[in-house]
Order: sequence, then structure tokens, then C-alpha cells
Amino acid sequence: MALTGIEIYKLLPKTNCKKCGFPTCLAFAMKVAQKGIEITACPDLTEEARGALEAAARPPIRLVTVGSDEHKFEVGNEVVLFRHEKTFYHPPALMVRVKDNLAAEERDKLVSEVSRYSVERVGIVMSADGFAIDNDSRDAGKFAACVESVTSQVKSPLVLMATDPAAMEAALAKAAGRRPLIYAATRDNLDRMVELAKTYNCPLAVSEPAGLSELAELTERAAQAGVEDLVIDPGATGFSASLQVLTQLRRLAIKKMFQPLGYPIITFPGDGATSVEEEAMLAGQHIAKYAGIIVLNHFSPATLYPLLTLRLNIYTDPQKPIRVQPGIYQIGEPKDSSPLCVTTNFSLTYFSIAGELESSGFPSWLLVCDTEGLSVLTAWAAGKFDADRIAKSVKEYKANEKINHNSLILPGKVAVLRGELEEELPDWKIRVGPLEAMDVGSYLKTQWKP
Amino acid sequence: MSRYIATSAIRGARDIVAEAERLLKESLETMGPDTPVAFPNTAYYLPVIYGITGHKVERLADLQWPLDHAKSLLPPVPRQSLWLPYLGETLDAGMATLFAEEIIEGIRFAKGEQPEVRNGYTFNGPIDDVQMRAWGIQMVDGRMPGFAAIIGAAKSNEVAVKIVRELQSKGQLVFLSGNVNGRSIVDQLLEEGVELGYDTFTVPFGSDTISAIYALGYATRAGISFGGFKPGDARANLLYNKFRCFAFALALGQVDDLKYATAAGAINYGFPVVADTVIPNILPVGITQYEHVVSMPFDDIPGRDDLERAERLVQRCIEIRGIKVKIAKVPIPVAYGPAFEGEVVRRENLRLEFGGKGGLCFEWLTMRDMDEVEDGKITVVGPELDAFEVGAKVPLGIMVDVAGRKMQKDFEPVLERQIHHFVNGAEGVQHQGQRDITWIRISKAAADKGFKIKHLGDILHANFHNLFGAIVDKIQITLYTEQDKVAELMEQAREVYRERNKRIADLTDESVDTYYSCTLCQSFAPTHVCIINPERVGLCGAYNWLDCRAAFEINPTGPNQPVPKGEVLDPVKGEWEGVNKFVYDHSQMKVNRFTVYSIMDAPMTTCGCCECVMVLLPEANGFMIVSRDDYGMTPCGMTFTTLMSTVGGGQQTPGMMGHGKYYILSKKFIPVEGGLKRVVWMSKNLKEEMAEELQAACEREGVPDLMDKIADGTICTDIDGLLPFLEEKGHPALTMESLI
Amino acid sequence: MAVEVPLEKWTGKIREVELGGNGRKSLVVGGAATLPFLHFEAAIPHRPAVAMEVQDIYPGGWSAHLEAAWGDALKDAGAWARKATEFGADLICLRLVSAHPESGNTGAAQAKATVDKVLSATDLPLIVLGPEVPEKDNEVLVAASEVAKGQRVALGPCLEKNHRTIAAACLADGHVAIAKTPIEINLAKQLNILLCDVGMPANSILMDPTTGALGYGLEYTYSVMERLRLAALMGDGMTAMPMICTVGEESWRQKESRAAQGVPASWGDIERRSLVWEELTALSLLHSGADIVVLRHPGVVERVKAAIDQLMA
Repeated sequence: MALTGIEIYKLLPKTNCKKCGFPTCLAFAMKVAQKGIEITACPDLTEEARGALEAAARPPIRLVTVGSDEHKFEVGNEVVLFRHEKTFYHPPALMVRVKDNLAAEERDKLVSEVSRYSVERVGIVMSADGFAIDNDSRDAGKFAACVESVTSQVKSPLVLMATDPAAMEAALAKAAGRRPLIYAATRDNLDRMVELAKTYNCPLAVSEPAGLSELAELTERAAQAGVEDLVIDPGATGFSASLQVLTQLRRLAIKKMFQPLGYPIITFPGDGATSVEEEAMLAGQHIAKYAGIIVLNHFSPATLYPLLTLRLNIYTDPQKPIRVQPGIYQIGEPKDSSPLCVTTNFSLTYFSIAGELESSGFPSWLLVCDTEGLSVLTAWAAGKFDADRIAKSVKEYKANEKINHNSLILPGKVAVLRGELEEELPDWKIRVGPLEAMDVGSYLKTQWKP
Repeated sequence: MSRYIATSAIRGARDIVAEAERLLKESLETMGPDTPVAFPNTAYYLPVIYGITGHKVERLADLQWPLDHAKSLLPPVPRQSLWLPYLGETLDAGMATLFAEEIIEGIRFAKGEQPEVRNGYTFNGPIDDVQMRAWGIQMVDGRMPGFAAIIGAAKSNEVAVKIVRELQSKGQLVFLSGNVNGRSIVDQLLEEGVELGYDTFTVPFGSDTISAIYALGYATRAGISFGGFKPGDARANLLYNKFRCFAFALALGQVDDLKYATAAGAINYGFPVVADTVIPNILPVGITQYEHVVSMPFDDIPGRDDLERAERLVQRCIEIRGIKVKIAKVPIPVAYGPAFEGEVVRRENLRLEFGGKGGLCFEWLTMRDMDEVEDGKITVVGPELDAFEVGAKVPLGIMVDVAGRKMQKDFEPVLERQIHHFVNGAEGVQHQGQRDITWIRISKAAADKGFKIKHLGDILHANFHNLFGAIVDKIQITLYTEQDKVAELMEQAREVYRERNKRIADLTDESVDTYYSCTLCQSFAPTHVCIINPERVGLCGAYNWLDCRAAFEINPTGPNQPVPKGEVLDPVKGEWEGVNKFVYDHSQMKVNRFTVYSIMDAPMTTCGCCECVMVLLPEANGFMIVSRDDYGMTPCGMTFTTLMSTVGGGQQTPGMMGHGKYYILSKKFIPVEGGLKRVVWMSKNLKEEMAEELQAACEREGVPDLMDKIADGTICTDIDGLLPFLEEKGHPALTMESLI
Repeated sequence: MAVEVPLEKWTGKIREVELGGNGRKSLVVGGAATLPFLHFEAAIPHRPAVAMEVQDIYPGGWSAHLEAAWGDALKDAGAWARKATEFGADLICLRLVSAHPESGNTGAAQAKATVDKVLSATDLPLIVLGPEVPEKDNEVLVAASEVAKGQRVALGPCLEKNHRTIAAACLADGHVAIAKTPIEINLAKQLNILLCDVGMPANSILMDPTTGALGYGLEYTYSVMERLRLAALMGDGMTAMPMICTVGEESWRQKESRAAQGVPASWGDIERRSLVWEELTALSLLHSGADIVVLRHPGVVERVKAAIDQLMA
């Protein structure tokens, strides 16, 4: 039975020393209760309290960091099976596979393209997370050279893929301090890979396709040997097997607190796929269903962009409305005579109206006010979408400079603001649009003239 | 059941069944058993027989079974001396009558005697399937309320026309049949040049009572088509018609035995009967939705003339059948809609204003009995708009009288609050405030278009019908514009407001056995269930217990559901079996227990729209309350926003809880933990906004100087600053029992 | 080390809804007693179905890639339906676009003719969608219902506003209603209750929870569907109706699926991107519980069907 924040608080030193990074012991306790931080973040715990709390408060899936300094990502630490229950916290890393027997020129081009790749969506810049360098050649020297070359080119987090511990060691020597993920310890090389992980202080992936029991045995051995930052590869490929096994792993971790399998999972959706699109679909499945690191065999912007978007969608906190950057957005290619609509910065609101405007055939300006991520009616009720705020946004983003008319279209649901807004913006003509975004197209068709 | 009616109906049934038997016997002999029997253009055979029994009639011989069945249903005529509850027998007699009538019409078709031709005019006969479908679907989905089956003849041609026009204006289909001494309403209408037929929603079935069977055939087919049950499922069909088809029979003129018998048949379908002559009433609610048989002797209906009497007669029929009126367009000379809600009428555009500074204006909605309210009656007592100078400040009293079978006294304030919203929807009309601080402005533009004070009544009438039809059946509005009268009524209204305030204050958790839920927020907080009790508003502050109760009446499948408290599990913490069960079932089985009066043990979950969050401060042995409008840091080390991510999203977090700001004033404010005395810190804006009310609450709690001892953001925003302050002030929480 | 995989003891299951039959091909969706594709837990008797969208007029503003994939078939609903059948659709989703007041405002007669044409062009089960303008839907769907009497088609959208009308038509002619609500679990449940209240059998209702495309509200649809599915499995019969998602329509109207120029290079090749957009939207929603996905591009249909094949294997 999980402890409540109050119960955890009782076991804390109650000094409000702030060393855990939280302002009070209670605030820390609440966060621990939500499994949002490990109890060990409190430096002054008594042994007794630590024992009582650790069992109850350990996150069901270990948080594992790959990379170092600012070039790193964290995966794991998930606490739910379904995003609506709380949220998914750490988006899976999307890594691009680089085979070590690729011609140097081709390789450099790929690495350079991937590392330069970035795409922006609602003010969020997204990119691939790093490279998985694959000892495809089975040649330790080639592998090490490839790793050396890539590390000299970029600082991104890495996965080093080799089954031969010697090759792995050669590569690790070249990636010193980068804290790459070692892939992978298997039943045949576990002890040596564990040693490498310890020596180089790196996270270690454990791969065992024979079954979950077998996999758990290996992770137990690694953990006992002192490597706790583990990533697991159950070896399940294809749509069906990977869905079932990844679901089972997540359930074991969340519902049974089964520690030997409570680690992030690495997947290779391109293995066995017959096309880039098939790889993308399977990667999409892994984003939604429980992967921690996804290694892609192909780099293709036309599939990576949708995948990054899917990841953004799935890992949005469903209880915290996602916000759009306030400002004036162009929908289509508006001119100075195009309509100007105003809305809030709740993402769903924004997307609803932007989507309708997009398909309405009317290029438009869309003024997005900062309503702290609330939708139109909620923001209005909370006083965050009132005449004052709208007028401020109109001025702040210089809406008048974009257009040659002075009409502003309000969402129909806040028609009540019209009068006040007319007072705040005396030179403007305030119009009231439709109640639902869906009807904005026909509204513009029938009512719009600048 | 009236013995008189029972006797007449049973006698009528016996006669008509005997007549059917005679006719069948005769036609079997003359035409043979294999002569086809069918109504035209229908796939439902003889529909009443088919729908009720499942028996298909395709030839004369097939009529024998229904006839035998009708005979078996016939009860004996009651004797003078014997008194029994005749209802069952009479209904059976009614059903036998319907079978007999349909048998007779079937034979008439077989003989080529239908549809009836009389004086050169061809009646419609039964409605064909195509038309049944077109109308039926509208009747089922509510676009068309129902039908009126008129049997007989009206007092005069003029009255006949008026009745039909009135029914048409209410969207009713009108079926016509029967006669009085040879004169039929169809004759009356034809003489007056009224177009009859499908296009005008008036169907002349025939000139005798028997042809009224087509109305029930229509209802039966609509039931089978749209009700999703099989022919022969009599119970399903009759219930379907009772609840879904808002039909009634209107008997005009003298009622003979056959009309009584046919009426008894109609009552089986839940269709009440209204007669414009003296007959015994059968009022108890049972088979039909409301009254079964109502007598309204035409000449006794109050009214200036026959036309007004006809109007009232129709109005009464509509009420009896429980037909809800919808008004498609608010009948005012200016545009109406939500787009005009935010409009401001400025001084330079002002034609008239009511209330506001130094003015007199109030609105007062009262529940009345059904017969005290005349629906749609709008009266202006005193001068109309034109009598006033431009820019004048005019006194106004808006008295709204409503009546409805589901209306309750407690809904008065809930409905009254809607007036603001309704009036604002009119272009060029601005409404602010409520009760005796109402302030209304009418613009010159609106006045130029012909807007009058009376139209305020039209707005209210239409909107209450359209949006609150579930609880309100009749609305009457009186608008007073004379200074003295307004002043006088306003005093009375104020007395009522005071009573209502008291009623709210007296409404305690103990005084009710049902709380209400609100699951509106489950879209983003799936496991959150608000439990709203009389002494705690919803945590968003928007819904109180009465609002929820009214919301449930209006939308019985909506987010506000009744939660029976059930067995008390813990009277102190406020834990009830029924509440626990409801919360468990509606929180995806995530919340097992729920206490109404404690924040430390199984408190209410929090969604995301709470006005305030209350947080335990263990160091101070008390609680702090931060409001949504407070953006600053608080002594618990978290801002409102950070707190929301901890407590929000439908979680149950002992020691933390979202709540509405008025909950702080409740007598049931965290009683288990000691109430208001536990509050050690409160957002400054809350203190200011509710200064008076808080002071009163402190006095009630016996700590009149408590507010001075409660810190706020201007005193401290951390725990280290809070404790010395509390010590210095001697805050009572410091010496109370430890919270953890 | 023995690892015991936790199995949920679900008490409910998704209702089975049959479409077609009576001379047409029959298709049953629903019936699952667990979450999508979790064969290790419980039986999943029917695979999710892929419907292909057919419109009653030449579609306006479609992307060139989409037009190229269909060619002249777009000019005639019958030809289009035949081609969709060849492309491997499990069922046809006919959208009466021309009934929209701004797209032709055609009425009952036109709807009857189109439905009749499509019914004779293919023997696949049929979905008929109105323009989502309730007054027009009442007109054209009631007409469509009559023409398709006995063929058990799915009629939608059945909104709260006009549910009585659509339900009445479905009841009269033996069809299935598509109950559409705006991305909210309680509204979805409420409409199901209302439909059952007016006599719709629970096994003649599909739910359309309103589809958000990838990047355009997908996560809301995804979670509402997961919640509906979970509620159903926990025993709530009023959320246990199979779900349908209009993936193609939503996906193809977004900028990412339409804009070839004037967009960042990082968006990649338009043709591949637009197809992947539809594929990922479809796949995500299949994982959250979709029983029918309505798609537009034949290439997407092929790949989504292949993925379903694998997921059901």
C-alpha cells in the first residue's frame, strides 16, 4: 500500500532544510508520494525511516540517464499504465542507428544530417536524441573508429551496440565521459559487460529474448554486481509480440512493483520491417506503448516529424492543459485584408480553430492570448480571458500592423466581452464569431468583409 | 373510474362488437372467406389488431379470431347496485371496441365502402405508410409533439376553425372523425373553406366515430416502426405510445356510448380524453400521463367570447397531455442570440433605463399552481416605452409567475438568475445585476425597431419554455412601470429574498437525505467526483446543492446526479455508505472512501477548477488557504499552480484539498479538524473580498478577532515567517490538538 | 526466477455489433474482453475493420497525392466504392458531403440515389455519414435509411441534438447508429444512455468519440478512448459500444498532409509525410480501442491492414 504524503512526512526530519530541492518537508513528501522523486533525495533520513520509505517509495521504473552534462536524456520513472491516470513523464528517446561498416562519407553525412535536424511545433523544438552505433562489422577496431569519428562530430547521447565485450571496451575508451548506453549484456557476456559498465560508469542494457523470467535473472545478477542503471531488451519484435511483452513489463513494474524488470525498455522497430513506413508505424506503437529508447534504422524527416509529433502528443500531461505560445499566428498566407480572430492559448482550442481556419479557404490571422492554457469558457470564467487581457494582447503583438482593417473576431462563447472590449479598444470593430470552432468557415463565408 | 362512464363504455363496446359480428357473418356469407381485406398502402395489415396481438388479417376469414378475441374481452354491463373499481373492465371493453371498429373498417374496405364519400367529398381514410413514416419520425424525435383526434362537431363553425388553427399553431397533427346528430367537424371546416389533407396536417378520417380507429392504427404503426419492438408486444406498444406519443382525443358535442367505448380504447394507449360537454371527470393519474378524462363544458370555460374559450380548451388539452411548448424564434422586433450578450448600451444611445443608480428595478419569479398561470400572458401595468422621454430612468418590476408539474419552490432562485442571461441576448438591450439591484438599458436603435417593454416578457416566456421546459409548463409575465406600484411590490420582493436567504442558510446537510454529484470535470480529471451537499458548494464555486438539484431535473442523465446518503458510517467525519459507493463507481473504482467533513481522512478529490486550495502546515498545526487569483508564494513552499499539479487531476490527497471560497464560511468547514480556527494563513485577496462574511463567521465560531491572527502574503510567504507571527498573535491553532 | 504476468480480471466486454448481412457481406466488430490486441489476457474475436471513405461529389481541395491514388473513380460514388472494394476495404464509408448547405445543399432525393448506387456497386457493409448539420442529417440520413432498409448500415453522425430522429430511422429500418460526442467520456456515455432510452438496442450503437488527428488533438481522443474502453471492461455496459474513428478526414485536412511548399525542410517529403500522418493517427487510435477506422489513401489502407494482420496474429 502506497503511503500518503502525510505518512511520508511523519518519517522525514521535518527540518525544512531545503537540501532536497523542495522548500518544505511536506512539499517533498507530497512529491515522494506521487513517486515523482526518490526518497533518497533527502540527505538526513534516519536509517529506520529510509528502510520504511524506500520500499514504499521507489519509483516502479528506474530513472536512467544516458549521456552526460547537457547532452543527455532521462528515461523511466513512469508511474502509470495509461496517460490519463497521471501522465507519462519521460518521452522515449529516438535514436538513429549508424552501422560501423558504413562508408565514412556516408556515415558523416548521416550523422551531420541527423544532428542538424530539428523541427518546431507550437513553440517546442524537437529533434532526434542521439545515435546508436552498431558494431555491424564485428570488428572491434572499426567499431572504435566509428565511435571516435561520431563523438568527434557530435556530442549527442549514444548507444553502443556490440555483443563482443572487447569491441565494447574499445569503443567505450573512445567515448570516455559521454556515458553512453552499453548494448547489450546477454547471458553469454553478462559479467564482462557488467564490469565495463562499472569501470566506465555507464548505463547497461540487458538483452534476453528467451523470456521474462530469464531476463529478470540477468538484471538481478547485474544489479547484485552493482550496476543499477539498467535498460532492458526483451527481444520482442513485430507489432504483436512487442505490444504484448512491453505491456506485460509495464504491468509488472506498475502493478506488482516487480523490481527486477522495473527498467526502461529499448526497442528496434526497424528490425524485420519491410519499409520505412512500417518501421515508423511500429515506432509509433512503441511511443504509445511503453518503450524508453527507440532505435530507428532509417533517418527520414518525413517519418521522423510525425513520430516526434506523436511523442509530443502522447507525453503531454493530460491534466495540465498544454499551452501554445501566445502571439499572432498566420493561418495560410494572410494578407492585410484577411480576417483576424482571437482565441486562447489552450492547445486544443488553438488547434481546433487553427484547423478550421486552415480548411476554411480564408487565410487568417489568429491572435493567441495568454490564458495560462485554459480554454475559452474556462479562461473567461477564471478571469484570464477578459477584455483587458485581449486588449493587451492586441497591443502587445501589434495586431493593427498586420491588418488594414480594424475588425477583431471574438469567439462566440465570450460574446459578453464585446461591450467592454469596445471600450478598451475604441478604434476597433469588435465582431462576434460562432459558438463553435467548427462553424468558423461558414461564418467567414457568410459574414466576413473587412 | 366513474360508474357512469364504465357503464356507457361497456354498453357501447358490447353494441359495436355485436355490430362487427353481424357484419362479418353477413360478409362471409355474401363474399366468401377468401375475399381480401386490407387497408391501402400499408405493410401492417389491420394495424391495431396486428400491433396488439400480432395477428395478420389478409382475408375475411382472418377476422374471425380478432372478433372472438374482442368478444372474450367484453365484460358484463355493471348493474345499478354493484360498485366496483371498473377500470380494468372498462379498458378491456375499450380494447374490444378498437378491434371491433377495425374489423368493421376492414370489411368496409373489402366491400369498397372506404374511404368514405359523403356529399361529394372523399374522406382520407387511414394514413398510408409513407406519410406515417414521415410524421412518425418527427413525432418520435419531438419535432412534432403529437396528434389530436377530434371526434364530433364543434359548437359553431367559427369554433371548429379556431380549435383546429390553435392545434396547428402548437404543431399538433389533427385527425378528424365522428359527428353529432349527423353534423361533423369536417363539414364545419369544409364550409369555412379550410384546406384539409396531409399538407395542412389535418386528416379527415370519416364522418362516424368508427373511423377514429385510424388514429390508433397510426399510433400503433408508429410504435412498431420506431419503438424497436415486435408486433404483438401489446404492453410495449401501449407504453411506448403513453410516453412517446403526445396524443389526446377531443370529444366535441354530446358523448354517446360508442364514443365512451372508443375513448376507453384510447385510454389504453395513454391518450387522455377531453370533452367539451358535461361528463364525469376521471382525474387520478394512472394509465395516461396525467388526467384520463376531463370535462370542460364549453360554455363554462372563462373567456370573452367563443374564440377565447376555444383557445383555452386547446391550451387545457395541451397541459393535460403534458405537451412541452417550444418556441422556435423569440418573438421580438430585434435580433436575438448569444452574440448580443456582451453588448453595452451607452448613454448616448440610451432610449430608456430601468434601475441603476437611484432607480427602482427588480425581478421576482414565483411558483404558482397550474390554474393560476395563463401561459404566454404578458401584461404591462403602467405606461409603455413610448410614454417616456428619451434617456428616462423608469421604475420597473418584473414579476414572473411559473407553473409546472415538476416545478419546486426551491427552483425559484435558480430560474430567476437566468433572467439576466435571457434579457441580455436581445440586440440593443443590456442587463446587469439581479433581484432588487437589476439594471436594464434599452437602446435607441432597439426602440426604433419597435422594441417595447412588453418584449421583455416575450423574451422570458420563450426562453423559459425552451431551456427549462423540463420543469416549467406555463409562464406568465407582468411588467409594472408605475413608481408607487413598483416600490410597493419591491418591498414584498425583498421580503421574499430575505426568506430565500434564510432558507439557504437553514438548508443543512442533516435536513436532506440526498446529496448531488458533479462529474463535469471528468474530461480532464477522470477520477474526480464532486459531492455537493447543502453546506458545501462545488469546489469550482459555480454549483450549489439547489443548482444541482434543478440541473438534474432538467437533464436527468447529465453530470449532476442525486447521491442518496445511505447508511451513516461515521457521523463525525461525514462518511456515508451511499456516498462511498457513488464515488467508487464514478471514479473508475479509484476512490474507495470519501468523507465530507475531514481534510485529513479521505477528503474530496480535486479536479482542476477549484477556487482555493487548502494545505496542511504541520509546523503551524493548521491550514493555509490560497486562492486561484493569488500568484505569489505561500508558506507551504508552493504556489497555487504548483499545488494544482500536486492535488489536482482527481486525486485524493489527505492534508490538501481544493474547495470553493464560500466553503470557508460554512458551518461545516472542516469540522473534524476544528473549523475556521485552524486557518493560519489566507491569500490577501480572499481576506479582502469576503471581509464582512469572514468576520461574521469568526464571530459565529466564537473568535471575533481571528481574522487579525490569520497571516497573509503581505505578512509572510514562508513557514519561517509564519510561526513567529502566529506566536505573537496567539493564534488558537497553536494550542489545538496536534493534526498529525 | 518465475515471473508471473499480472492478468486483469475484466468483468465486462465490448459489445458485438454486426453490419451488413442479408445478402451483403456481414461484418462483426467488437466483442473483445481485453484491451486492444492483448491476446495473452483474453479473447479478441473480431479484428478491427478498415473502412474507406467515399464521397457523393468530387472532393474539393484534396491533396494531389490523394487524387492521384484514386484517379477518375473520385468522379462517381459507385465507381469510387468499387475501387475501394478492390483496394481491400472491409467496409465503405459513404459521406453525403453534397447535402451540406455550403456544398450543394442536396436533399433526400439525391441521398437516396447515391446510397442506392453505392449499395449496388459493392457488396461490402456500408456506413453513411451526413454533413453533420443536424437538420440536413435528419433529412438525408432518414432518406438513406429507407433506401438501405434491412441492409444494416451504420448511420451517423447521431448527435445528442438529433439522436431521436436518427434512432427512429435506425429502429424502423434495422440499422446501426453512430453516436458522436465531442471528445468526452461522460457525454459519450450519456448519449448511449439516451439512445437506449429511446429503444435502440445496445448492440446497434457505435461510438464516434470525435477524432483528433496526429498533432491536432490526437492525445485527447486517444485518452478518452482508452478510458471508454477501460470503463467498458470494468463492467459499464453503457460505454461498451465499439468505436469508430474518422481518421482519414481529420488527418488529410491538416497542413502537414496538404502543404508541399512553404513549409520547413525538416517536415520531409510531402507524399511520405502525408501518408505516415494518416497511418500513425490510425495506428494510435487502434491501440486506444478503435474498432473501425475510416481511411482515405489506398496505400495507408494496405499498410494499416498489414499492421492489423500482425497485431491479430
